[in-house]
Amino acid sequence: MVWLSGMALCLSLTIILSLIGVVLWNGFRTFWPAPIHLVTLRDGSTFLGMPVRSEAYESEPARVEALRKTDIEGALTTDGRVIRTLYRVGNKEILGEPFRWVDAGDIASIDLPPHAVLVERLQWGPWIGQPGAIVSVEEVVIGADEPLVGTTDTEHGSRRFERAELNEAGGGGPRRVRQTTFVCEGPEETLRAFGPAHVAAVARRTHIERLKEEDVGVINRELTALQNGVRLAELRHAEGAITEADFGAIRASSEQRAGELRAGFSTIMERVRRLEAEDAMHRWIVTDPGTQRFAPISQSEPGSPMLLSQVVRCVPANDIGVVGKVRVYLARWWEFLTDGPRETNTEGGIMPVIFGTVAMTLLLCVLVVPMGVVAALYLREYARQGWVVSAVRVAVNNLAGVPSIVYGVFGLGFFCYSVGSWVDRGPQAPLSPQSWWGIVGLTVVLAAASIVLGLVAKIRPLRPDSAIKMLGRFLSLLGWLGVIVGVGVLVVRLPYFHGFFRERPAATFGTPGVLWASLTLALLTLPVVIVSTEEAISAVPRSLREGSYGCGASKWQTIRRVVLPRAAPGIMTGMILAMARGAGEVAPLMLVGAVKLASELPFEASFPWLHLERSFMHLGFHIFDLGFQSPDSEGARPLVWTTTFILMSVVVTLNITAIGLRARLRRRFGGGHF
Amino acid sequence: MVSQVQHRPIIGVSPDGTISGRSQGAGGSVRPLTGSEYGAIQAIRANRPFRAAIHDEVMAASAVLEVSDFELYYGAAKALHAISMPVPRGKVTALVGPSGCGKSTLLRSINRLNDLIDGVRIEGDMRLNGESVYSPYVDVIDLRKRMGMVFQKSNPFPMSIFENVVYALRIDGENRKSLLKETCERALRAAALWDEVKDRLHESALGMSGGQQQRLCIARAIAAEPEVLLMDEPCSALDPIATLRIEEFIHEIRGRLTVVIVTHNMQQAARVSDFTAFMYLGRLVEYGPTATIFQNPRLKETEDYVRGRFG
Repeated sequence: MVWLSGMALCLSLTIILSLIGVVLWNGFRTFWPAPIHLVTLRDGSTFLGMPVRSEAYESEPARVEALRKTDIEGALTTDGRVIRTLYRVGNKEILGEPFRWVDAGDIASIDLPPHAVLVERLQWGPWIGQPGAIVSVEEVVIGADEPLVGTTDTEHGSRRFERAELNEAGGGGPRRVRQTTFVCEGPEETLRAFGPAHVAAVARRTHIERLKEEDVGVINRELTALQNGVRLAELRHAEGAITEADFGAIRASSEQRAGELRAGFSTIMERVRRLEAEDAMHRWIVTDPGTQRFAPISQSEPGSPMLLSQVVRCVPANDIGVVGKVRVYLARWWEFLTDGPRETNTEGGIMPVIFGTVAMTLLLCVLVVPMGVVAALYLREYARQGWVVSAVRVAVNNLAGVPSIVYGVFGLGFFCYSVGSWVDRGPQAPLSPQSWWGIVGLTVVLAAASIVLGLVAKIRPLRPDSAIKMLGRFLSLLGWLGVIVGVGVLVVRLPYFHGFFRERPAATFGTPGVLWASLTLALLTLPVVIVSTEEAISAVPRSLREGSYGCGASKWQTIRRVVLPRAAPGIMTGMILAMARGAGEVAPLMLVGAVKLASELPFEASFPWLHLERSFMHLGFHIFDLGFQSPDSEGARPLVWTTTFILMSVVVTLNITAIGLRARLRRRFGGGHF
Repeated sequence: MVSQVQHRPIIGVSPDGTISGRSQGAGGSVRPLTGSEYGAIQAIRANRPFRAAIHDEVMAASAVLEVSDFELYYGAAKALHAISMPVPRGKVTALVGPSGCGKSTLLRSINRLNDLIDGVRIEGDMRLNGESVYSPYVDVIDLRKRMGMVFQKSNPFPMSIFENVVYALRIDGENRKSLLKETCERALRAAALWDEVKDRLHESALGMSGGQQQRLCIARAIAAEPEVLLMDEPCSALDPIATLRIEEFIHEIRGRLTVVIVTHNMQQAARVSDFTAFMYLGRLVEYGPTATIFQNPRLKETEDYVRGRFG
């Protein structure tokens, strides 16, 4: 038996360790720069590619026989299967498929060209080629005595300047403008000149993006707000809440402001156009050796070389040595952790995904801990221990066993569509004010009656229960249930409330979002928190409570000052378990808020900062999306591992933080081994 | 000086089950008593009407607390049988008796801590300074604020030493720093703890030794200046030195504060108390000045018990 149980433990440990090992190995391997092979095939064609992996496969007998005859070393395995290698070839615009299987038997030779580069681009994935030239055109205003045309060689020899006059009429009379074309030819020189030119190009690109996103964003937000304001005024005007004149004034002032904003918008767009035109003057030529075509600016313009600013990173993988590779590796990790995704999530980073996961998990904690603690306090401290409480406890424990997708369906139906649309547009079927006030009166009477009946049940607390006391308690319970129903009806059918966002054309809270996702997961993890809080509370020694009561503390004072601090480590344990469960859930999130690509974070730097109604990206869902929904599954595969590793790290980090906090609490408040 | 906690029931329990509840003695070995000198105990065991021997000195003293015909049930089991006794003002009264005789229950009834136990009900009443303790109109919280309590096992709260001491004031909403500091120092000095902890008032109380923790609990109990201090075997978990310090404390406050102390240690009762009440099976047997109870009690049972012949 000892051997059996020991073996079972070993087996479990091995499985867990290999899981962690596989994730770590694959996750950390992703960003290491692979060598670039120049592959020459037996038919004379060549291509550049990075080997991904090799495997043996069953091919048709004729092919195997042919390969056997050629007697090429390494083309076949000993059992007659064909060996092939997967190459990442990139260059999607001209090659179509970014990956290519090549049989070892077809390869004539493999070279490592020193100047071959892998160009990571903003669009269309990587480009692998030989750098040809950098062409930059700049316009400079010059003095009267400087020559317009000429050539200057720089210290690099092959660089030269060509100068040409460009006519331009300025505001203060004719100016002399010289257009300088900087050409740098040859792979080695191009690579050397690439660094500084690329830095300048990235600065231009960042500037353009900032103008487009921030400045235009501010204007767009204000325009939308104006539109919504007019719409709200229109609605209120239709209800008779504001006069025709007021409505007209609001509309007029909004239109005037909108005109100003549109003028500002055109100014910004004019600047953007000018910057883009300047940016288009800096290009570089990277040629695919197989087809002799260079990387185009876009698929529709194959004759126009790509812009320098379209390049994210240029990796001359065969030429940089280990130190250079480490630098590329770290730079890629940095990009992965701090940037947004590109190219349907197969490139770029996962910063919004990490942010969304952490934000959702923290929000989940903020929601679930108070709910769970209050519920557990009632169950353990206030409720009379009897069959009702036992039944509630069993029900709570059973909630933990409900499949998580059920919570997702509930969250979508209840939170998003019911509560959310109530918040957006107010009650669907409001009561008439008369009947609403009638129900208010009824509820108040019911509440008063319940209080009186509850007091009846409290008469002579230390004497035996009489039938009247039991009846009082029962009727009081019924009364309170009635009050809850009454308040529910009053809220759901409130005639005076028309929603917070009724002027917006699209639903705001009435769609999946991070708030609803957190609430759904809070429900999902509530049993965990309730159970561990109950255990922690019941583990507080009786002597401590009695000491507090003996000092003249009330029940609530005892709970707040003695029981809760002492139980805090146990409550933290519940929170940790809830966090671990909540951060890893995917199924319900797909229904209530996680999306493939969220254009905005649920948090931004301007008022009101938090946008809990926005949908968000989540690591668990992102892994699913990369692995099974990606158009480029071969390219996304390494990212699945890396993202899995990040998910594990995020959960572990959150847990370690919480565990550290708990250790501090335990040192302070003592006891508590939960 | 070593505390003699007695784990063995002195006298067997009669099969009619008149004592039960949380009694440790229930189910212990039965050693029948013989001889007519044990009339009181025989009466108790047979559940016959029985009148406690209360000395005149007790009745003559001015009483802060008056217990009259007090009975207490844990569910169906009766734990206290018609106890009537005055507690003299400003004196130290010791409750002694074998385990399960109801000493602690009686003590905890004084500040209504038994209310917290499900299924407890009571008959009769107690009066603190003439006001009923068990009247439906009494504010239990307020009542407990007028009494301090020290428990068998020290129970410092999970907070700093300072906050422990001023707990009773804090829950009253007292937030004036100077007053809290003053109270803390006075209470800690009274409990002879000030010199040991004055430099670490804001450290956790859980880092103190057992004896220090118990003295901290005493400081906490007297910080709000109660009228009565209830001590439930305060030294049973302490070593002789710590016990000595607590006994010194009781000597110190004698006369200023009424103390009711439950103890298993006869020598301790003899050392610290002015009056001693001997209880047995939920009944008061004899109650009188400590010197008399220990040297010349009226009942043979009392004499045998205090001399340790039953234990």
